[in-house]
Amino acid sequence: MKKIININFQGRVIPIEETAYDTLKQYVESLRRYFSNEDGRDEIINDIESRIAELFSERLKRGTACITDDDVSAVIASIGRPQDFEEQDGGPEGASGTNYQNAQQQAAAGPASYSNVGRGRLYRNADDKIVGGVCSGLANYLGIDPVIMRILFVILIGALFWIYILLWIIVPSQSLQTNITKRLYRNPDDKVIAGVCGGLASYFNLERWVPRLVFALPLIIGLISTSMNAIWWNWDFGFAPRIITGSLGSTLFITYIILWIAVPYASTASEKLEMRGEKVDLNSIRDTVKVDLENFKSKTEKWGQEVKQTAQQFGTNAAAFGQAAGQHAKSFATEAAPIARRAGSGVGNVIGILFKAFFLFIAGIIALSLFGVLIALLFGGMATFPLKNFVLEGTGQNLLGWGTLILFLGVPLVALITWLIRRIMGVRSGNHYLGYIFSTLWVIGLLCCIFLIATFSSNFKTRIPVEDQVNILQPASNKLIVGVKNSHLEYYHGDWFGLRFNDELPIYGMNMDTLMLNTISVKVYKSKDSSYHLTRVRLGRGNNREAARSTAEKIQFNIEQKDSLILLPEGFPISTGDKFRNQQVLIAIDVPVGKRIVIEDAVNRYSWFDVNVNNRRGWNIEFNDYRDDSYSWNGNTEYIMTPDGLKKVKDLDQVELKKGHFKLLIDESNGKIELEGDGEGENKNDKYHYRYKQIEDSIKEKAKDKLRDEIRLKDSIEREKKLKEVIKSTTQNKDRTNEGTEDETLSGSHLFSPVLCFVQI
Amino acid sequence: MNIENTQSQMRKGILEFCILSVIRRGEAYPSDIVEEMKGANLNIFEGTLYPLLTRLKNADMLTYRWVESNSGPPRKYFSLTDKGKAFYDELEATWIELANAVNTLAKKTDSMPDTTNQNPSF
Repeated sequence: MKKIININFQGRVIPIEETAYDTLKQYVESLRRYFSNEDGRDEIINDIESRIAELFSERLKRGTACITDDDVSAVIASIGRPQDFEEQDGGPEGASGTNYQNAQQQAAAGPASYSNVGRGRLYRNADDKIVGGVCSGLANYLGIDPVIMRILFVILIGALFWIYILLWIIVPSQSLQTNITKRLYRNPDDKVIAGVCGGLASYFNLERWVPRLVFALPLIIGLISTSMNAIWWNWDFGFAPRIITGSLGSTLFITYIILWIAVPYASTASEKLEMRGEKVDLNSIRDTVKVDLENFKSKTEKWGQEVKQTAQQFGTNAAAFGQAAGQHAKSFATEAAPIARRAGSGVGNVIGILFKAFFLFIAGIIALSLFGVLIALLFGGMATFPLKNFVLEGTGQNLLGWGTLILFLGVPLVALITWLIRRIMGVRSGNHYLGYIFSTLWVIGLLCCIFLIATFSSNFKTRIPVEDQVNILQPASNKLIVGVKNSHLEYYHGDWFGLRFNDELPIYGMNMDTLMLNTISVKVYKSKDSSYHLTRVRLGRGNNREAARSTAEKIQFNIEQKDSLILLPEGFPISTGDKFRNQQVLIAIDVPVGKRIVIEDAVNRYSWFDVNVNNRRGWNIEFNDYRDDSYSWNGNTEYIMTPDGLKKVKDLDQVELKKGHFKLLIDESNGKIELEGDGEGENKNDKYHYRYKQIEDSIKEKAKDKLRDEIRLKDSIEREKKLKEVIKSTTQNKDRTNEGTEDETLSGSHLFSPVLCFVQI
Repeated sequence: MNIENTQSQMRKGILEFCILSVIRRGEAYPSDIVEEMKGANLNIFEGTLYPLLTRLKNADMLTYRWVESNSGPPRKYFSLTDKGKAFYDELEATWIELANAVNTLAKKTDSMPDTTNQNPSF
């Protein structure tokens, strides 16, 4: 019983047996290869194909129903096989007149008869050879130095080479019919990736899922492990599965790649038959081994006797051996010819397979991690189930949320697992219903996701600030301390079903019906009058202005005062009824000039905290994770408001400060601030400061030296004049009030002003 | 060196000459050429013939025309060009020379031990 297929051959529809078609295809392919270096290759192939089509047509006209194996064989016999052409056409020596065992080899065979010698085709080099010119030819083919090639060859192939030589000498020679009726092929009819598992299964008479399961086991264990990990954090298989997924997994992976490269693809019918072949059982293996051993024994005995012969006999033996070796070499060459032929494309094949394997590997990793992410999302989604109460609003959004979770994220997961199991079990679905169902469900999930995002984001459309003044008593000590009071709200801090809210999240605590937010920003401004002011701004988002306003107004953020201490809440709670609408609270503290403020370290725990030293320019809340880098604010430090903004008290001249006079204090601090740099020089910018100090010191030293010289030369009155001149020549923004001062340090600090300009440039 | 190789070398040398001599007599279809050569006890595979024809055609020795066939695709009928005719004449002259030379030599060696047929490997 044979399957008949219709092929379009040279513009004719020809019914042909499938096996015959395979043979024909193989034959045409072998011709193509044979004529690969011929100029008019396509024309020749076309002519031959036309002729074959003509012969087929004749046969069909005679009433044959279809083209059979015999017909194809007859046609091939008439046209001739590539090795027949060699005989007629005259191929290179050592490559013709050979016995080919099967069509495969014939197809691969065929040395070049007319091609140009050189690159592009692998030849043994006849001119530069040590043994057979193989290395030289390879080197020529690859474009490298033959010497290097030889060294590499000897190093790499050395061991195997000697084993080969040894076997060559020991093992008796005979024309062999292929006695292996079953060969290992990759199975094209039953493949997932490359048919390796399918081939192994038919070779060892196994159910086809067995090798597949073996190769997929690390993957499956990995998947299970990942999902378990996603459900129970820190879930661990322990020692054994690590071995399986780790080293065994990579070993199997490499094994698969090697098999992929080394094992031929059963593309023709005969190869497929060979692949299934005879049943390989223990008995046949034992028999084969037994016979082989006996042969081997007798051969070695015979060989041993030969070695014991006299010198003359040895000489004749050697001659015979030489002759035999010559024949060996010849037959080896003929055997090697098709292999070499293959090797040309083989290198490309190997590279191709490695590339394929690499991409599969990468794709596998991506798929696996996606799978992990999906599982994590699915179970993470369940874990954050209470959180959804703070986010989603109404039945519609809840439904969409569940739809997204189950359909959009869950369905691909189920589909992937189903697909994997089906592939491993070798089930091929006759219909595509399952695929349709999965796709439909997923599309629904996708729509859910889109609608959810759309409705959800519309809830965040508008932002409304609600601003109110908090009445505070002016502290008697002219110092305001801002701290954080401990909340009495109960909440789970840290672990909650494996979810950890750390400082990175604006959420710092939650329980089933309350979510604690600390999206709070504290800003310090310069007061417009002489008293402290505290402004609380609550911001909420919503679908429209009203919703946003009501959200904002619902924020409970009560500020307490104890003398000079202002206590801010740790955060503000949001109930499930309030929903999370990115609520934010801004606390603006106005500090009058000359008065002080201390902000405790605890305030730093708020999600946003910064100090705005400039004059008020409307409210702005910006998420600023890296506040410590851009704002040089120190907690628990006393600051004083100057006309130019906040300054650390300890940075100011304590003596001048203690003089107490308000006006004087400002003047002095003003001068000092200029020296300190452009407003943000709070000793934080170490690099600047250091360089700055260096220049300052060197200029001071120079000024001192100059002054000493003057002192040595002139009397005290002239010295006074000179000093003034020096000050004049080096100072651009000279302070009139300090003109008469003789104090060296002071003049030094004045000298330093132009340097400041320089540094600022 | 072996006998098959030498034989094939000998055949190869005269193959083109034989093909041209068949085509010289008029337009020829490749399988007819094969048949004719078979008739002259000179077996040739079509697979060997086609490349030779293509090569000769590419060298302007041959030309062809398409002829509709009732048993398959249109057939290519080959015929000699002027250049091909000149080429053939030269080959013919050479062949006659060669045949004479070989015959003369072969006759001379008739009485001597036959060495030409011996396999060099033995």
